[in-house]
Amino acid sequence: MGRYVIRRLLQFIPTVLGTMFLLHYMTSLAIQFSGNPVRALFGDRTPPPALLQAVTERLGYGDPCLDQRGSPCLGLFLDRLQNIFFHFDFGINLRQREVTDLVADAIPFTLKLLVIAIVFEAVVGIVAGVLAGLRGGSFTDYLVKISTVFIISVPIFVLGVVVREFVGVKFGNVLRDQDWIPDVISAGMFSPGFKPDYPLASLVIPGMVLGAVSLATTARLTRTSIMENIRADYVRTARAKGLTNKRVIGVHTLRNSLIPVITFLGVDIGAAMAGAVVTETIFNVPGIGRLVTMSARTGESSVVVGVVTMLVLVVLLANLLVDLLYAVLDPRIRYE
Amino acid sequence: MRGKFLKVAVAATATAMLATACSSGGDENEPSGQTGGTLRVYNAEPAFLTPSGGDDEPSLYVIRQLYRGLVKYNAESSAVEMDLAESVESTDQKLWTIKLKSGYTFDNGEPVNADAFIRSWNYAAYGPNAQNNGYFMKRIVGLKDVAPADPDGEGPQKAPEPATKEMSGLKKVDELTFTVELDAPFSGFPTTIGYPGFFPMAQACVDDIAKCNETPIGNGPYKIDGSWQHNVAINLTRSDSWQGEAGKPDRIEYRIFADIDAGYAAFQAGELDVLYYLPPARYKEAQAQYGDRMYETPGDSFTYVGMPLYQDAFKDKRVRQALSLSLDRQSIIDAVFDGRYTPATGYVAPTFEGAREGVCKYCTKDVEKAKQLLADAGGWPAGEKLILWANAGAGHDLWLQAVGDQIKEALGIDYELKVNLQFAEYLETADQKKFTGGFRLGWGPDYPFMETYLYPLYGTGAGSNNSGYTNPEFDALMEEGDSADSIQAAIPAYQKAEDLLGEDLPVIPMWWNKVGAVYGENVDQFVWNAVSDADYGATSLKQN
Repeated sequence: MGRYVIRRLLQFIPTVLGTMFLLHYMTSLAIQFSGNPVRALFGDRTPPPALLQAVTERLGYGDPCLDQRGSPCLGLFLDRLQNIFFHFDFGINLRQREVTDLVADAIPFTLKLLVIAIVFEAVVGIVAGVLAGLRGGSFTDYLVKISTVFIISVPIFVLGVVVREFVGVKFGNVLRDQDWIPDVISAGMFSPGFKPDYPLASLVIPGMVLGAVSLATTARLTRTSIMENIRADYVRTARAKGLTNKRVIGVHTLRNSLIPVITFLGVDIGAAMAGAVVTETIFNVPGIGRLVTMSARTGESSVVVGVVTMLVLVVLLANLLVDLLYAVLDPRIRYE
Repeated sequence: MRGKFLKVAVAATATAMLATACSSGGDENEPSGQTGGTLRVYNAEPAFLTPSGGDDEPSLYVIRQLYRGLVKYNAESSAVEMDLAESVESTDQKLWTIKLKSGYTFDNGEPVNADAFIRSWNYAAYGPNAQNNGYFMKRIVGLKDVAPADPDGEGPQKAPEPATKEMSGLKKVDELTFTVELDAPFSGFPTTIGYPGFFPMAQACVDDIAKCNETPIGNGPYKIDGSWQHNVAINLTRSDSWQGEAGKPDRIEYRIFADIDAGYAAFQAGELDVLYYLPPARYKEAQAQYGDRMYETPGDSFTYVGMPLYQDAFKDKRVRQALSLSLDRQSIIDAVFDGRYTPATGYVAPTFEGAREGVCKYCTKDVEKAKQLLADAGGWPAGEKLILWANAGAGHDLWLQAVGDQIKEALGIDYELKVNLQFAEYLETADQKKFTGGFRLGWGPDYPFMETYLYPLYGTGAGSNNSGYTNPEFDALMEEGDSADSIQAAIPAYQKAEDLLGEDLPVIPMWWNKVGAVYGENVDQFVWNAVSDADYGATSLKQN
């Protein structure tokens, strides 16, 4: 087990370095081909050359290789790696703020959003899947099947905007007119976006929107898995032993059925991060996703490289965690 | 710095006053414009909260409440009024003497004296500090010493370390007096110094600029409550140290949005009192829903199609006149922008003092005349397409296509859109004068003075002169205006210069924008300043 973990951790190194180089190369190419992002800061006003140079230099876009189209800028990449790994310096953005500060500000919001999304999708998805799986062909089964198809087929940016408009603004306004409803519900939970006054309540709906898309897959996976396992020999044995229905379903069936679901939920953390890019922008959540969107829009390479590298680490760790969880769920799985 | 001399400035304020006057029967008969309450306003994430750094709209909205400068602008007439300055005077328009009022302090107790201004301006100008507002110090003697240029123009050599940190043009006379020497006479200087780039900074602020950016040490009617919560909110509360006229609300809370649609949703949900900008797609809906609480006024930002005078095909002014004559601006505005702009008939915003209608005689559609002029000029080069440039991804291709279609219909010149460059590269192409056809660009004023629309864009060798226009007569008129005895005396010279542009058409004027804002039910008086836009300190809330 220990050796397995170490081997997996060692595999992280080339993956992370490779990703960083790709990101570095792509952002450098973007600058080489679409111009110095610092120039765009000044807009229609042509800055005096001395000022433009000073700002370009200060923000780290002064390297001459950024003028040579196609150059991989290896020198710049090595400098960057050195700064990141030896000084923990991810550089600054166009507004002269440290990327580490930007991330530190943003990460709590994204974490809260992700936890809400994953809990929502796991709890509701698994419950719906179990209900549908146990009674195949029943009304519940059809209800779950139809509603999941419906949710899957709506892209998250459409879902987000519709929820913001109808739940946050329209329905929320109705609630806000009622005096007996506490503010935390009417102004907090049903607000059209993140509100600093209600830092947690106002994240509930955005989190649910983020979890909704994967919720459908979770429910479907659980349903299929339960249906398969319910006819398995060991379940029949358990029943034959005279165990209660609760124990047969809850321990014997569910535990085995959850392996594919857990895998999916683990991989889904990565997808949820991607979904957060959209959700956070729609619901104005000041998290990592919004940070990446804004930086990509303005061409801030240091922010994109820094933040995406951290995201890659998160996804890798989540996947490792999932692999280790297998052993907990299924004792037959051994690592060496 | 944004400026406009508009006559109808506070129409909405008047309406609001009228509304309260009508509704105020019985005991709610309070005087309008009362103080108190918390004003919640929309904002995007500012770039900086220091006077030397913030040059974008979101920053300026906050900085203008935290700090105050030498002069301010009248909300309606945008005339310059003294704020912290006792007087700003000059005999030759080149050496200016500025006297300060006494008794003003920063929030940390430091006095607002001559040093506070000299320190702030020097900090902004010093090259290695890389402050965006260094741009505004360009007229002061000695800028070249504190921000020297790279010896060979562009990398790999770095610019030399500046020999000095202070501009020689700034001199302290006594505690409350200092002089500013400019490179050349400029009669409009007093209009420029109300821009936040010229606001003072405390010594403690310059000593630790990063900290001051997070927790500003201001000298204005409001001070920060807590510190800047990046991407979330900036809360201001009344400052006790402010000696001038106090702001109306007790607190101003700036909520920060990354996306205007999210901001609009928050406004709809009653979480914001003022939204200073409307998402274009929601304009009609907002008009229907909030018609009486919507504020609209002519703006001052200028959109034009530049003519590359460095290209042979555009050298003859009759060609440029013909192109301009073939356009019906109003129909494009109606079709593409819901009629929200005003067609341009001159080069200075209609809201500015000294602006006139119809300066450009070639700015209304006249196909016959256009054909005639083009024929006189020898026609368009056979087989060549007219190329129209715009930066990618900002939606300019829509209206530029309409421009191309109208030219094609009127003159039979086939066109081609070139809209694949990102903004940064597009601007670099403009700087290097590499456009091969008409190019779209815009311009917003730096201060409420006609000159801001003329010299930077059309003066020989001026920074933003992207068309490459050179006219000694124009330059001479600009010089005449710059060295005139007063702001008013400068206007006739500038108007003559504008007339030259109306004949030469170095750029084809297209339109002026319109400003739109909405405010909530609990706003009593919404105040729009002709130069500095929404004035949150002067906006009052209804009190219960």
